[in-house]
Amino acid sequence: MSGAASYLARRAAQKERVRILYRRALKDTLNWAVHRHLFYPDADALRERFDANKNVEDIETIDRMIADGESQYNKWRHPDPYIVPWAPGGSKFTRNPEPPAGIEIVYNYGREDH
Amino acid sequence: MASALRAAILGHVRVPVVANGSKLLAPLWTHRTTSVRSMSSHDDHLEKTQVIDRILDIVKSFPKVDPSKVTPEVHFQKDLGLDSLDNVEIIMAIEEEFKLEIPDKEADKIDSCALAIEYVYNHPMAS
Repeated sequence: MSGAASYLARRAAQKERVRILYRRALKDTLNWAVHRHLFYPDADALRERFDANKNVEDIETIDRMIADGESQYNKWRHPDPYIVPWAPGGSKFTRNPEPPAGIEIVYNYGREDH
Repeated sequence: MASALRAAILGHVRVPVVANGSKLLAPLWTHRTTSVRSMSSHDDHLEKTQVIDRILDIVKSFPKVDPSKVTPEVHFQKDLGLDSLDNVEIIMAIEEEFKLEIPDKEADKIDSCALAIEYVYNHPMAS
């Protein structure tokens, strides 16, 4: 029973790894392909590579394939990926607008009257 | 004779300069007064109906989805017959639509329209 449970847990972990690998690889495809018309065929090719091994059952083979896919992803990762502007590393990160007029900051470090 | 001819011609030829000019100006004026355009980026949080509409549009335009089945509560894999990789693609489309960057582990848990709507609506940077 515990054998079956651990098998299922391992399969679930593998499925999650594959989903996250596909997600990262798809985003990276968009980083490499600067235009949409270049991205679509690349994304289809990526999807075909994942679908080709859809029906593999042996759990050790799957582990090896995932490790292989992750190492390929790491090898071809884009050096300067697109980051949403507000996210850490994005072009607008920590660039905040000035506070509205009427609000002032008192620089009185730690010596405020309580 | 000449004055009669001139009167006859002027009676037929109309050059409605003033009327035309006012017609040209009128739409501009009404446009400026009626259309409200917010110049500020503050307080631009999305309304729930807007989020629902845009997410349903994304899901309906996904090639493998039958648009008539899509509702705000639909589950991507159970109700629409998609697989887990299609799910990943839909979430990526939603991220691009709302200019979000969802962490991988959180994106992995979004598996239905209801969850996607809730996540996007509650996200402070969704636009």
